[in-house]
Amino acid sequence: MQYWINHKGVQSGPVDLDALKEMGLTSAAYVWHEGLSDWVKITQLPELQGLYEMVGEPIPEPQAVTTGTPIEEITQGTPIEETTQAQIGSPLQPQYGEEPLIDEPCPSTNLVWAIVATVLCCVPFGIVAIVYANKVTKLYKAGDLYGAKSASETSMWWTIAAIVVGVVWRPLLYTLICA
Amino acid sequence: MTRTMRRGLLLLVAIVVVLVMGVVYYALDPSSSGFFPKCAFLEFTGYKCPGCGSQRAIHALLNGDVVAAFKYNALLLISIPWIAICLYAESQRVRNPKLYLRLNSQLLIWLFLIMVLLWWVLRNIFNW
Repeated sequence: MQYWINHKGVQSGPVDLDALKEMGLTSAAYVWHEGLSDWVKITQLPELQGLYEMVGEPIPEPQAVTTGTPIEEITQGTPIEETTQAQIGSPLQPQYGEEPLIDEPCPSTNLVWAIVATVLCCVPFGIVAIVYANKVTKLYKAGDLYGAKSASETSMWWTIAAIVVGVVWRPLLYTLICA
Repeated sequence: MTRTMRRGLLLLVAIVVVLVMGVVYYALDPSSSGFFPKCAFLEFTGYKCPGCGSQRAIHALLNGDVVAAFKYNALLLISIPWIAICLYAESQRVRNPKLYLRLNSQLLIWLFLIMVLLWWVLRNIFNW
Protein backbone atom coordinates (compact mmCIF):
# COMPACT_ATOMS: atom_id res chain seq x y z
CA MET A 1 0.00 0.00 0.00
CA GLN A 2 1.16 3.53 -0.79
CA TYR A 3 1.10 6.24 1.86
CA TRP A 4 1.00 10.04 1.50
CA ILE A 5 2.35 12.14 4.33
CA ASN A 6 1.49 15.62 5.52
CA HIS A 7 4.00 16.80 8.06
CA LYS A 8 3.59 20.34 9.39
CA GLY A 9 1.96 21.43 6.15
CA VAL A 10 4.54 19.85 3.84
CA GLN A 11 3.24 17.02 1.70
CA SER A 12 5.26 14.06 0.52
CA GLY A 13 4.76 10.57 -0.79
CA PRO A 14 3.75 8.15 -1.99
CA VAL A 15 5.96 5.79 0.00
CA ASP A 16 5.44 2.20 1.10
CA LEU A 17 4.99 1.08 4.69
CA ASP A 18 8.67 0.29 5.33
CA ALA A 19 9.79 3.67 4.03
CA LEU A 20 7.10 5.36 6.10
CA LYS A 21 8.38 3.66 9.24
CA GLU A 22 11.92 4.83 8.50
CA MET A 23 10.92 8.47 7.95
CA GLY A 24 11.08 9.18 11.67
CA LEU A 25 7.98 11.35 11.60
CA THR A 26 6.73 12.91 14.78
CA SER A 27 3.25 12.18 16.05
CA ALA A 28 2.17 15.53 14.57
CA ALA A 29 2.18 14.07 11.05
CA TYR A 30 -0.92 13.11 9.09
CA VAL A 31 -1.12 10.17 6.73
CA TRP A 32 -3.45 9.14 3.96
CA HIS A 33 -3.76 5.97 1.92
CA GLU A 34 -6.31 4.69 -0.54
CA GLY A 35 -9.53 3.74 1.18
CA LEU A 36 -9.37 6.51 3.77
CA SER A 37 -11.87 9.32 3.37
CA ASP A 38 -9.55 11.90 4.90
CA TRP A 39 -6.13 12.43 6.45
CA VAL A 40 -5.62 10.62 9.75
CA LYS A 41 -3.10 11.26 12.49
CA ILE A 42 -0.10 9.01 12.11
CA THR A 43 -0.77 7.75 15.62
CA GLN A 44 -4.09 6.34 14.48
CA LEU A 45 -2.77 3.94 11.85
CA PRO A 46 -3.07 0.38 13.18
CA GLU A 47 -0.13 -0.78 11.03
CA LEU A 48 2.17 1.65 12.81
CA GLN A 49 1.16 0.49 16.26
CA GLY A 50 4.18 0.20 18.53
CA LEU A 51 6.11 2.91 16.68
CA TYR A 52 3.99 5.67 18.13
CA GLU A 53 2.24 5.99 21.41
CA MET A 54 -1.34 5.52 20.33
CA VAL A 55 -3.43 8.61 20.79
CA GLY A 56 -7.14 8.12 20.40
CA GLU A 57 -8.75 5.10 18.82
CA PRO A 58 -7.01 3.29 16.00
CA ILE A 59 -9.04 3.73 12.84
CA PRO A 60 -11.35 0.81 12.17
CA GLU A 61 -10.68 -1.69 9.41
CA PRO A 62 -13.07 -1.04 6.52
CA GLN A 63 -15.17 -4.16 7.07
CA ALA A 64 -14.65 -4.60 10.80
CA VAL A 65 -17.50 -3.88 13.13
CA THR A 66 -16.12 -4.33 16.62
CA THR A 67 -18.22 -5.62 19.42
CA GLY A 68 -17.98 -4.02 22.76
CA THR A 69 -19.33 -6.80 24.94
CA PRO A 70 -17.53 -7.27 28.21
CA ILE A 71 -16.43 -10.83 28.99
CA GLU A 72 -18.66 -11.20 32.07
CA GLU A 73 -21.70 -10.60 29.99
CA ILE A 74 -20.81 -13.46 27.67
CA THR A 75 -20.34 -15.85 30.56
CA GLN A 76 -23.63 -14.77 32.00
CA GLY A 77 -25.27 -15.60 28.72
CA THR A 78 -26.61 -12.19 27.86
CA PRO A 79 -27.13 -11.53 24.15
CA ILE A 80 -24.16 -9.86 22.51
CA GLU A 81 -24.69 -6.15 22.24
CA GLU A 82 -23.09 -4.77 19.13
CA THR A 83 -21.40 -1.43 19.34
CA THR A 84 -19.68 0.07 16.37
CA GLN A 85 -16.52 2.06 16.54
CA ALA A 86 -18.45 5.12 15.46
CA GLN A 87 -20.83 4.78 18.37
CA ILE A 88 -18.00 4.54 20.86
CA GLY A 89 -16.43 7.63 19.35
CA SER A 90 -13.23 9.18 20.51
CA PRO A 91 -12.80 12.63 21.95
CA LEU A 92 -9.23 12.73 20.67
CA GLN A 93 -10.08 11.93 17.07
CA PRO A 94 -9.67 15.15 15.09
CA GLN A 95 -12.74 16.41 13.32
CA TYR A 96 -12.37 17.32 9.67
CA GLY A 97 -14.57 18.95 7.10
CA GLU A 98 -14.71 22.72 7.44
CA GLU A 99 -11.76 22.63 9.81
CA PRO A 100 -8.47 23.31 7.96
CA LEU A 101 -5.60 20.87 8.43
CA ILE A 102 -3.10 23.62 9.17
CA ASP A 103 -3.00 25.91 12.16
CA GLU A 104 -1.83 28.89 10.12
CA PRO A 105 -4.54 30.90 8.32
CA CYS A 106 -4.86 30.46 4.56
CA PRO A 107 -2.33 32.52 2.56
CA SER A 108 -4.01 35.36 0.72
CA THR A 109 -5.62 34.17 -2.50
CA ASN A 110 -5.10 37.69 -3.94
CA LEU A 111 -8.45 37.16 -5.64
CA VAL A 112 -9.49 40.83 -5.28
CA TRP A 113 -6.50 42.04 -7.23
CA ALA A 114 -6.94 39.29 -9.81
CA ILE A 115 -10.54 40.40 -10.37
CA VAL A 116 -9.59 44.08 -10.49
CA ALA A 117 -6.84 43.31 -13.01
CA THR A 118 -9.21 41.21 -15.14
CA VAL A 119 -11.84 43.93 -15.27
CA LEU A 120 -9.57 46.95 -15.64
CA CYS A 121 -6.49 45.78 -17.54
CA CYS A 122 -6.32 45.10 -21.20
CA VAL A 123 -4.43 41.86 -21.12
CA PRO A 124 -6.09 38.64 -20.06
CA PHE A 125 -3.33 37.90 -17.53
CA GLY A 126 -5.85 38.56 -14.76
CA ILE A 127 -7.61 35.34 -15.75
CA VAL A 128 -4.43 33.38 -15.02
CA ALA A 129 -4.25 35.15 -11.65
CA ILE A 130 -7.80 33.97 -10.88
CA VAL A 131 -6.83 30.39 -11.73
CA TYR A 132 -3.93 30.62 -9.27
CA ALA A 133 -6.20 32.17 -6.62
CA ASN A 134 -8.34 29.06 -6.98
CA LYS A 135 -5.22 26.92 -6.52
CA VAL A 136 -4.42 28.65 -3.21
CA THR A 137 -7.73 27.53 -1.71
CA LYS A 138 -7.42 24.05 -3.19
CA LEU A 139 -3.88 23.42 -1.91
CA TYR A 140 -4.57 24.96 1.49
CA LYS A 141 -7.59 22.72 2.00
CA ALA A 142 -5.48 19.71 1.04
CA GLY A 143 -3.02 20.68 3.79
CA ASP A 144 -0.29 21.88 1.45
CA LEU A 145 0.68 25.21 3.02
CA TYR A 146 3.89 25.53 1.01
CA GLY A 147 2.08 24.97 -2.29
CA ALA A 148 -0.67 27.40 -1.28
CA LYS A 149 1.88 30.10 -0.46
CA SER A 150 3.66 29.70 -3.78
CA ALA A 151 0.33 29.76 -5.68
CA SER A 152 -0.53 32.94 -3.78
CA GLU A 153 2.70 34.55 -4.97
CA THR A 154 2.22 33.34 -8.54
CA SER A 155 -1.28 34.83 -8.57
CA MET A 156 0.11 38.20 -7.43
CA TRP A 157 2.82 38.16 -10.11
CA TRP A 158 0.25 37.57 -12.88
CA THR A 159 -1.78 40.47 -11.51
CA ILE A 160 1.29 42.69 -11.52
CA ALA A 161 2.08 41.55 -15.07
CA ALA A 162 -1.47 42.43 -16.15
CA ILE A 163 -1.17 45.91 -14.64
CA VAL A 164 2.29 46.56 -16.09
CA VAL A 165 1.55 45.25 -19.59
CA GLY A 166 -2.02 46.52 -19.73
CA VAL A 167 -1.80 49.92 -18.11
CA VAL A 168 1.61 51.19 -17.09
CA TRP A 169 3.79 50.66 -20.15
CA ARG A 170 1.72 52.59 -22.69
CA PRO A 171 1.61 55.98 -20.95
CA LEU A 172 5.29 55.43 -20.13
CA LEU A 173 6.05 54.74 -23.78
CA TYR A 174 4.12 57.82 -24.93
CA THR A 175 5.94 59.96 -22.39
CA LEU A 176 9.30 58.66 -23.60
CA ILE A 177 8.45 59.20 -27.27
CA CYS A 178 6.97 62.67 -26.75
CA ALA A 179 9.78 63.82 -24.46
CA MET B 1 8.43 51.23 10.85
CA THR B 2 5.98 48.88 12.44
CA ARG B 3 3.66 46.57 10.55
CA THR B 4 0.55 48.57 11.42
CA MET B 5 2.22 51.85 10.40
CA ARG B 6 3.28 50.42 7.06
CA ARG B 7 -0.22 49.07 6.47
CA GLY B 8 -1.76 52.41 7.38
CA LEU B 9 0.57 54.25 5.01
CA LEU B 10 -0.21 51.80 2.22
CA LEU B 11 -3.93 52.26 2.82
CA LEU B 12 -3.51 56.05 2.76
CA VAL B 13 -1.61 55.92 -0.54
CA ALA B 14 -4.26 53.61 -1.99
CA ILE B 15 -7.08 55.95 -0.94
CA VAL B 16 -5.30 59.00 -2.43
CA VAL B 17 -4.65 57.16 -5.72
CA VAL B 18 -8.28 55.99 -5.94
CA LEU B 19 -9.56 59.53 -5.19
CA VAL B 20 -7.31 61.14 -7.81
CA MET B 21 -8.28 58.52 -10.39
CA GLY B 22 -11.92 59.06 -9.45
CA VAL B 23 -11.68 62.79 -10.13
CA VAL B 24 -9.86 62.21 -13.44
CA TYR B 25 -12.40 59.61 -14.62
CA TYR B 26 -15.30 61.76 -13.46
CA ALA B 27 -14.12 64.87 -15.29
CA LEU B 28 -12.71 63.43 -18.52
CA ASP B 29 -14.58 61.25 -20.98
CA PRO B 30 -12.35 58.38 -22.18
CA SER B 31 -14.35 58.02 -25.42
CA SER B 32 -13.34 61.51 -26.60
CA SER B 33 -10.12 62.26 -24.72
CA GLY B 34 -6.82 60.94 -26.04
CA PHE B 35 -5.35 60.98 -22.56
CA PHE B 36 -6.45 57.46 -21.63
CA PRO B 37 -4.56 54.29 -22.60
CA LYS B 38 -6.24 52.17 -25.25
CA CYS B 39 -6.63 48.43 -24.94
CA ALA B 40 -3.46 46.71 -26.15
CA PHE B 41 -5.26 43.41 -26.67
CA LEU B 42 -7.87 45.02 -28.94
CA GLU B 43 -5.21 46.83 -30.97
CA PHE B 44 -3.05 43.75 -31.47
CA THR B 45 -5.72 41.10 -32.04
CA GLY B 46 -8.82 43.01 -33.13
CA TYR B 47 -10.79 41.20 -30.44
CA LYS B 48 -12.21 42.80 -27.31
CA CYS B 49 -10.77 41.72 -23.98
CA PRO B 50 -12.95 41.20 -20.88
CA GLY B 51 -11.93 44.67 -19.65
CA CYS B 52 -12.66 46.65 -22.82
CA GLY B 53 -14.95 49.58 -22.16
CA SER B 54 -14.27 49.62 -18.45
CA GLN B 55 -12.78 53.14 -18.52
CA ARG B 56 -15.88 54.51 -20.28
CA ALA B 57 -18.04 52.48 -17.89
CA ILE B 58 -16.31 54.05 -14.89
CA HIS B 59 -16.78 57.53 -16.38
CA ALA B 60 -20.49 56.81 -16.92
CA LEU B 61 -20.85 55.33 -13.45
CA LEU B 62 -19.20 58.31 -11.76
CA ASN B 63 -21.60 60.57 -13.64
CA GLY B 64 -24.56 58.53 -12.41
CA ASP B 65 -25.42 56.79 -15.67
CA VAL B 66 -25.68 53.14 -14.63
CA VAL B 67 -27.39 52.00 -17.87
CA ALA B 68 -24.60 53.41 -20.04
CA ALA B 69 -22.00 51.87 -17.74
CA PHE B 70 -23.68 48.48 -18.13
CA LYS B 71 -23.62 48.85 -21.92
CA TYR B 72 -19.92 49.76 -21.97
CA ASN B 73 -18.84 46.87 -19.74
CA ALA B 74 -21.39 44.67 -17.98
CA LEU B 75 -18.65 42.64 -16.30
CA LEU B 76 -17.40 45.73 -14.46
CA LEU B 77 -20.78 46.34 -12.86
CA ILE B 78 -21.24 42.67 -11.96
CA SER B 79 -17.74 42.58 -10.46
CA ILE B 80 -18.25 45.48 -8.05
CA PRO B 81 -20.11 43.41 -5.41
CA TRP B 82 -17.55 40.60 -5.83
CA ILE B 83 -14.70 43.02 -5.27
CA ALA B 84 -16.41 44.43 -2.18
CA ILE B 85 -16.93 40.94 -0.73
CA CYS B 86 -13.34 39.91 -1.53
CA LEU B 87 -11.93 43.06 0.06
CA TYR B 88 -13.96 42.35 3.18
CA ALA B 89 -12.75 38.72 3.18
CA GLU B 90 -9.15 39.92 2.81
CA SER B 91 -9.52 42.18 5.84
CA GLN B 92 -10.80 39.21 7.87
CA ARG B 93 -8.22 36.68 6.67
CA VAL B 94 -6.25 36.35 9.90
CA ARG B 95 -9.07 37.18 12.31
CA ASN B 96 -11.66 34.88 10.79
CA PRO B 97 -9.94 32.20 8.66
CA LYS B 98 -13.12 30.10 8.29
CA LEU B 99 -15.04 33.02 6.79
CA TYR B 100 -12.10 33.73 4.50
CA LEU B 101 -12.10 30.17 3.19
CA ARG B 102 -15.85 30.24 2.66
CA LEU B 103 -15.69 33.51 0.68
CA ASN B 104 -12.67 32.25 -1.28
CA SER B 105 -14.15 28.81 -1.90
CA GLN B 106 -13.19 27.01 -5.10
CA LEU B 107 -16.84 27.04 -6.18
CA LEU B 108 -17.08 30.84 -6.00
CA ILE B 109 -13.76 31.36 -7.79
CA TRP B 110 -14.77 28.90 -10.52
CA LEU B 111 -18.09 30.71 -10.91
CA PHE B 112 -16.33 34.02 -11.42
CA LEU B 113 -13.84 32.50 -13.84
CA ILE B 114 -16.58 30.90 -15.97
CA MET B 115 -18.46 34.20 -15.95
CA VAL B 116 -15.38 36.07 -17.22
CA LEU B 117 -14.69 33.53 -19.97
CA LEU B 118 -18.32 33.46 -21.10
CA TRP B 119 -18.41 37.27 -21.14
CA TRP B 120 -15.19 37.37 -23.15
CA VAL B 121 -16.49 34.98 -25.84
CA LEU B 122 -20.05 36.31 -26.01
CA ARG B 123 -19.09 39.99 -26.24
CA ASN B 124 -16.93 39.24 -29.27
CA ILE B 125 -19.71 37.22 -30.95
CA PHE B 126 -22.54 39.68 -30.29
CA ASN B 127 -20.36 42.79 -30.23
CA TRP B 128 -21.43 43.80 -26.70
